[in-house]
Amino acid sequence: MATEYAVEAHGLGKIYRTRFRGREIRAVSNLTLCVPQGVKFGLLGPNGAGKTTFVKMLLSAVNPTSGSAALFGKDARDPDARRPVGYLPENHRFPTYLSGRGMLDFYGALSGLDAHRRKQRIPQLLELVGLKDWGDVRIKKYSKGMLQRLGLAQALIHRPRLLILDEPTDGVDPVGRREIRDILNGLTGTGVTVFINSHLLSEVESFCEYVAILSKGELALEGKISSLVAGHGYRVAARGVPEQALDQVRRLGIAILPNPEGIEVQAPTLEEANAAVDRIRAAGGLIVSFSTTTGSLEEVFIRTTQAERAA
Amino acid sequence: MSTQPGLSSASGLSSPSVLAALIRDTFEEALARWLFWGLFGLSTLLIAIFLFVLRIDVVQGAVSLMGIVPTSHRIPDIHKFVNVSYAIVSIMLYIWGTFLAIFASSGLIPSVLEAGRISLLLSKPLTRTMLLAGRYIGNVLVVSLNHIYLIFGIWIIIGLKTDIWEARFLLAIPISIFIFAVLLCVVVLIGVVFESAALSVMVSVALMLISTILAQRQIVVKLLNSEWSRQLWMAFYWIVPKVYDLGAALRQTILYQRRVDWLTPLWTSAVFGVVVLSSAIYVFQRRDF
Repeated sequence: MATEYAVEAHGLGKIYRTRFRGREIRAVSNLTLCVPQGVKFGLLGPNGAGKTTFVKMLLSAVNPTSGSAALFGKDARDPDARRPVGYLPENHRFPTYLSGRGMLDFYGALSGLDAHRRKQRIPQLLELVGLKDWGDVRIKKYSKGMLQRLGLAQALIHRPRLLILDEPTDGVDPVGRREIRDILNGLTGTGVTVFINSHLLSEVESFCEYVAILSKGELALEGKISSLVAGHGYRVAARGVPEQALDQVRRLGIAILPNPEGIEVQAPTLEEANAAVDRIRAAGGLIVSFSTTTGSLEEVFIRTTQAERAA
Repeated sequence: MSTQPGLSSASGLSSPSVLAALIRDTFEEALARWLFWGLFGLSTLLIAIFLFVLRIDVVQGAVSLMGIVPTSHRIPDIHKFVNVSYAIVSIMLYIWGTFLAIFASSGLIPSVLEAGRISLLLSKPLTRTMLLAGRYIGNVLVVSLNHIYLIFGIWIIIGLKTDIWEARFLLAIPISIFIFAVLLCVVVLIGVVFESAALSVMVSVALMLISTILAQRQIVVKLLNSEWSRQLWMAFYWIVPKVYDLGAALRQTILYQRRVDWLTPLWTSAVFGVVVLSSAIYVFQRRDF
């Protein structure tokens, strides 16, 4: 079935029941989300928000209690739907009795790649992830960063159209993170959909185009990162402002920060910014600049999750 | 959706190369575990013990050994003596081999269900049934290799020394493998439900012992005083795999060379195995990982 979406979830829900008392724990609730093909998508949320459960439902490791999920238009429960998917799980446990080459061969075979193609592809991938000289070494000798890169190679072995990465840089040092980011950046323009589940906001912000924020198992926010962080507040720079005027501005609940030229007022709304300007001008202060500010994804994330928590 | 070049077009339900990869992985994991090397090591040790024991002159040894046995129970000829030896050894190997194989195999299901490993396996285009089947078949093949090595090795040693080649002794190979395959179904079910290697060993060994007790039905049925308790005993007898009965049939075939009823213990044990393995698959399909 032709579809414009790599991932589709409609009313997806998961309720876990404790073994003995049968108490219900709602991990994901009525989640509807569509990820267009070829985009870089980030799934964010605080711990316990249901991110990993959602990913596992997409991959049929967890059976949904309600709703449905599809990968490239195919029911996610169908094993064939997972054929174009590469996956790197969080806290993976690769078979330590295998070498890097052996592991890629095993997962390549499970991904449906024939022996000839595996033989061609494995050296390319080992080179790509910087493990060319480590291919014949047993995995138990690998560092965390090397394991992560090998995991990425495993996910890429059959040239997937959808790459699902669960905390791909978790526990990796900054150099390793950079290497992973470079590999992922190399996928830009190839048409591969990259779906990253991460709690590292800066990473998602720098790499992804689209983002969804889950909170308490529900979709709290979704959209293009550039539009979510744009037009988020106002900044007024001024100098020569008497202390009395500053007090008046503070009483409006507006933050004032010192800057090299004098002061900087940060107002969340246009009305409050204008009120601050009125007070400064009335007291004889000089406005140096007036500009809009773009919020960071971190601000969007905190505001969203706090609002959900308060609701 | 078009299939990429080099990607198998077979459905995840039926790809033989996927099954082969799972079996090969089970082999590699089994060989990486010290328990399996222990299993092969113990088999080698047993073969070495046989080599040593049979260094004694067979005829002299047989005569000396028969001297220990009371006159009324003495075995009249060396051929008969070797047959008795074959029967004793085959039963010993049957019990010993099955117990050790279960012990060595018990961790192979829980290990694959570890978080972070199972989720990656399930993300591949294969069914859960195939995943479990690959593990099961791989495990049976590893143990089969050990049983063939052990029993065939001892058969060769006894045959070379005595020049009596009792082919019926080799029946211990398929029978040992069969009963292991049946008990492995229990290991798989316990592994899938509780992810506990120790519990799966406990239950499997308990089944071996229970089978021995239940098999004494002719004596016990006479001792039980109510009809329902007799019926209950017999019901349990038919349900539980016939570990004891198959061993007894093996002994009788080798020792007395008589035709015995293999079919009943075989098919009832096979039904038990199929039901338990199907239950394991059913539970595995519904579990969240």
